[in-house]
Amino acid sequence: MKEKLTIQLIMALILFLPFNRVIASEQKLIITGSSTVAPLMLEIAKAFEKKNPGVRIDVQSGGSSRGLSDARSGLADIGMASRGLKPEESDLKNYVVALDGICIILNKNNPVVKLTDQQIIQIFKGEIKNWKQVGGLDAAITVVNKAEGRSTLELFEQYFKLKNSEIKASVVIGDNEQGIKTVSGNTNAIGYVSIGAAEYNVELGTPIKLLSMSGVLATTENIKLGLYPLSRPLNLVTKASPEGLQKKFIEFATSSEVNTLVQQQYFVPAKK
Amino acid sequence: MIKSAQSKVEYLVTYIVWGLSILLLLSMIFLIYKMVGPGFSTIRWDYFLSEPLNSGRSGGISSILISTLLIVGVCLFVAIPIGLGTAIWLTEFTTSQSFLGQNIRRSLDILAGVPSIVFGLFGNALFCRYLGLGFSIISGGLTLACMVLPILIRSIEVGIRSIPSEHRFSASALGLSTFSQLYHLILPLAVPGIVVGLVLGIGRAVAETAALVFTSGYVDRMPSSISDSGRSLSVHIYDLSMNVPGGESNAYKSVFVILILLFFLNTLTMFLADRLLARKVMNE
Repeated sequence: MKEKLTIQLIMALILFLPFNRVIASEQKLIITGSSTVAPLMLEIAKAFEKKNPGVRIDVQSGGSSRGLSDARSGLADIGMASRGLKPEESDLKNYVVALDGICIILNKNNPVVKLTDQQIIQIFKGEIKNWKQVGGLDAAITVVNKAEGRSTLELFEQYFKLKNSEIKASVVIGDNEQGIKTVSGNTNAIGYVSIGAAEYNVELGTPIKLLSMSGVLATTENIKLGLYPLSRPLNLVTKASPEGLQKKFIEFATSSEVNTLVQQQYFVPAKK
Repeated sequence: MIKSAQSKVEYLVTYIVWGLSILLLLSMIFLIYKMVGPGFSTIRWDYFLSEPLNSGRSGGISSILISTLLIVGVCLFVAIPIGLGTAIWLTEFTTSQSFLGQNIRRSLDILAGVPSIVFGLFGNALFCRYLGLGFSIISGGLTLACMVLPILIRSIEVGIRSIPSEHRFSASALGLSTFSQLYHLILPLAVPGIVVGLVLGIGRAVAETAALVFTSGYVDRMPSSISDSGRSLSVHIYDLSMNVPGGESNAYKSVFVILILLFFLNTLTMFLADRLLARKVMNE
């Protein structure tokens, strides 16, 4: 008897699960793509939903190329890409939401102030092992690398044309915070992190310094001006000129209203 | 002389077996300590009750926990009847040498080894696009059901096969119909196999990441129905540790939650299987 009751209860629960509760007058947008942009877009979408009741925005991740193909095929209303569009993708329209840049960081007490691209490549390949070789103290270099799968690692390798297997890392880290902690605690360490996170820590007084890249100072200002070489745009992509809700959302996501959200994700706002 | 050499070998084997089990136990304890330690010390009750904020860096996981339970629920709701049915067909309605039976078994074993991302893309193509279910909890649950079925069927099958044929002969001799044989004899005796299948299946379902990113999706708000997109715990952990700078500490808390969830679901499975099936033998 008791067992029958349990079974009936379970059946009733399943049957009454609201299977397809469609709320009338609800407007919905689907955004798919880059897993780097997705956490930021999720927050922007929440802020947009709060401003526009009755609107729902579903953010799905899956990678930049997926975002581009979904936007093209119409599966998604908007795609996300953490890189600029290639010439063969010029049929799509893109809107820059934020910028991401990475910089080489050293400990503040390290006397080295400049490294050329070639020297950086040699250090990360393990061909230069001592700071003496690049004008520093006689001490072994601690190379701090990112864990595989990190978008900063991707950008770093792309810029310096390095393969992950070529990098001889002494320490492998996960996120920016961990990288900054490692370098600030070790005079002989060299690492690379998101510029937003590094600047934030310098303001807090963490003993690190940001190296210039090809003579350009590593500042969020220079990323915004497009001068800093080691950066990439975070884009929203649409197939045709955006209309209606799509247009409204893109306007919101590219406005200065989202700047705080962008900075919270350690990215650089596209607009002041 | 020979005898003492033999007993030496026996001692040695005993030591090796004990040594290996202790090694396994120690590595398990180490793993749990490493995984649970950082989460356990910082977790609070409201972590279970509030929704994630700031990409999951702060806030809780209530919506994600609900999505996970719904996804696993849909998966089991579909997989258990199909799994039981197929396993019974394979053992009771066809001989182990039959062409069809052998081929089904072989395909199941191959399916069990297919990487989960393949199931994810398959589920995305079939459930999300072709059947038009979109990114939703139901798409995710159905995809997981496809993944879990091979394991479930094969373990139930092994469970049923382990029942001595004498039992069946006596049941037939007593004139029991096929249905009564199944209901009163085979199923209750197959409970250990079913439990093993369910525990392995639930484990695979709860731990799944790749298949769910493309089917049930990434949305972390509270689902209002199973046709909504919902993020599972494992996807949440993956995202926090790979894509969200500063998400590490909350990722550990979620790891702690997922371990508790698995423990809870497995206990519940054993309890329910015991209640609903095993007692049949004694009652009748």
